[in-house]
Amino acid sequence: MMDEHSKPNSRRQFLKKTAAACTGLFLPNAVNAFAKSETIRLGYLPITDATPLLVAHGLGYFSEEGLVVDRPVMVRSWKILVESFLAGKFNLTHMLFPIPVWMRFKQKVPVKVLAWDHTNGSAVTVKKDSDIYSFKDLGGKQIAVPSWYSTHNLLLQMGIRSQGLRPVIKPQSAKLMKDEVNLFILPPPDMPTALLGNKIDGYIVADPFNALAQVKFNARIMRFSGDIWKNHPCCVIVANENFIHKNAILIQKAINAIVRAQDWCINNPSETAHLLSRDGEGYLPFPKNVLSKVFENPHKNELTHPQWNVARIGFQPFPFPSATRFIIDQMRQTLVEGDTLFLRDLDTPKAADLLVENSFVMKSMDEIGGMNRFCNCDMTKPYTREEVVEIN
Amino acid sequence: MKSINRFIYRDPRQVGLNAVFGNRDFGWKYELIGLVFFAGLWVAAAGFFFTRPDFTQFNGFLPGPTFKALFAASQESRFWISVFASLKRIIFGIFLASVIGVPIGILVGFYPKFRSLSYSPIQFVRMISPLSWMPIALLLFTSFESAVYFLIVMATICPIILNTTIGVLNINPQWIKMALNQGASNFQLIRTIIIPASLPYMLTSLRLALGVAWIVLVPAEFLGVSSGLGYLINDARDTMEYDRLMAMIIAIGILGFALDRIFQRLQHTFNWSWNE
Repeated sequence: MMDEHSKPNSRRQFLKKTAAACTGLFLPNAVNAFAKSETIRLGYLPITDATPLLVAHGLGYFSEEGLVVDRPVMVRSWKILVESFLAGKFNLTHMLFPIPVWMRFKQKVPVKVLAWDHTNGSAVTVKKDSDIYSFKDLGGKQIAVPSWYSTHNLLLQMGIRSQGLRPVIKPQSAKLMKDEVNLFILPPPDMPTALLGNKIDGYIVADPFNALAQVKFNARIMRFSGDIWKNHPCCVIVANENFIHKNAILIQKAINAIVRAQDWCINNPSETAHLLSRDGEGYLPFPKNVLSKVFENPHKNELTHPQWNVARIGFQPFPFPSATRFIIDQMRQTLVEGDTLFLRDLDTPKAADLLVENSFVMKSMDEIGGMNRFCNCDMTKPYTREEVVEIN
Repeated sequence: MKSINRFIYRDPRQVGLNAVFGNRDFGWKYELIGLVFFAGLWVAAAGFFFTRPDFTQFNGFLPGPTFKALFAASQESRFWISVFASLKRIIFGIFLASVIGVPIGILVGFYPKFRSLSYSPIQFVRMISPLSWMPIALLLFTSFESAVYFLIVMATICPIILNTTIGVLNINPQWIKMALNQGASNFQLIRTIIIPASLPYMLTSLRLALGVAWIVLVPAEFLGVSSGLGYLINDARDTMEYDRLMAMIIAIGILGFALDRIFQRLQHTFNWSWNE
């Protein structure tokens, strides 16, 4: 009896298995999606913006929360990260804040911002002997940004406009007026090389590509991004709304792990650098000495607002609505290539509410001690703040 | 008749691509001299450009640091894992492309109607950079690994189809006429004459495909894979370690050369059966 039963069964199982194995290689996603239960699939770029995701995995926080999470998958460009997210290869990733704005309101992809991934963490870098010391020196210069829909592009253009200069997008050979600053896209890994080869006068990008230029050829940080807009959000944690609704428990656990990782990063900066580096777990291809520079705080004399007391890269998970609104408003004024009509009709407060889902992160923060684990802010109103922007 | 005679009396090994990608042995002396000359060019050019004081960051491109980095890499397991990962992708990718491309090439060569039908699509697809397929690859395939295979197949399939077609078209027409005279069916023609006779061209097409496959491998390994020589080149670019970058370039060169040699030997083995 047993034999009769098990034989056809095992053959069927074998067929099923082979079929599954084959579809894994060749068939579209949709077919496969039903076959397996959902897990968190993390994707990241090789920049320190990915730190909380990587640390949460490296310290085993995901498994402590009871999740089975594979090693996060590294891809090399924002385009590939976004495409892989849309294709369902990743269901939880970090993205530059303007990208989910663009996805949600232009591309009509139901993405939600669940938490801030990190704060600050970028800089405008110029050559050591450059004559650029502040935004007002940028007239007639060529500056590279990593992507039009990037926090960096927003911050840079805020700086440019504040000095009465005009951002333009022109061919590199075009003649620039004295008050024009030419912007163009360059992949982050090419930025230090282009700067060294005098193809550009400076760039704004996430670390460690600023730290790399500092370590490799003594480049100078013209301005840290946290020195422009105090504790600004940069990358945010993003997931698809449908996925969130179907897997609320999964998401809560993942956010718990990420928030705990952020708390750990604040208290263990040099261990964080080691863990991420190729001398540690090898999540990022960089050696420890480059990453250490990112997690060390800058000298007072490198800052224009030493009294702000900001970290080079900070970790504060709560998505302050005021900052979301500020980002959307800034996106309206920011010059980009491509169609930006979708921003015109956007109602900022409504859009900010639609975009951000903060219940998960608030619960996670409560569990480890609330806002005062992350900042010395006013505890009477911990979930609001005033955005401080000062450019000089 | 004149055109047919031309094919009969001319040595097929001298025709077209076969002059370069044929099975001729060029003689090790010439190959060595060529290699030494090429290395000399590298030393001279790198020495000229990258020893300037403002380019000290780039002196990884010089031969000394390059070979030091290559030696250091050869001590790491990561490097060997990457070598095998890349070789696997190249060989399996070309295998898939030839499984699809060779039959298409034979059909295109054998049936004039099919040739006219397929001409425009093939010319159309041939011009598209395989990397523009990247978003489609990401959408269509569940794993990043299979997306990489897809990109390699898209890059290599056109040279395989075209060269197989050329092989079929270049078969001595008198053999076909002879076979038809004796009442051969299309299937018999393909099996006994077309396939064996165009085999050298197919092997040539694989050698062409090999070069193209290595070209797309580096950008294809931008996708979420965690090993491969292209992956290591991307790592080296991210960290501005140009000695490692050059070391990987040399490694790819050596592997490509070795693979090409293997295909050349294969060509040699299959050539005698119909030609000599």
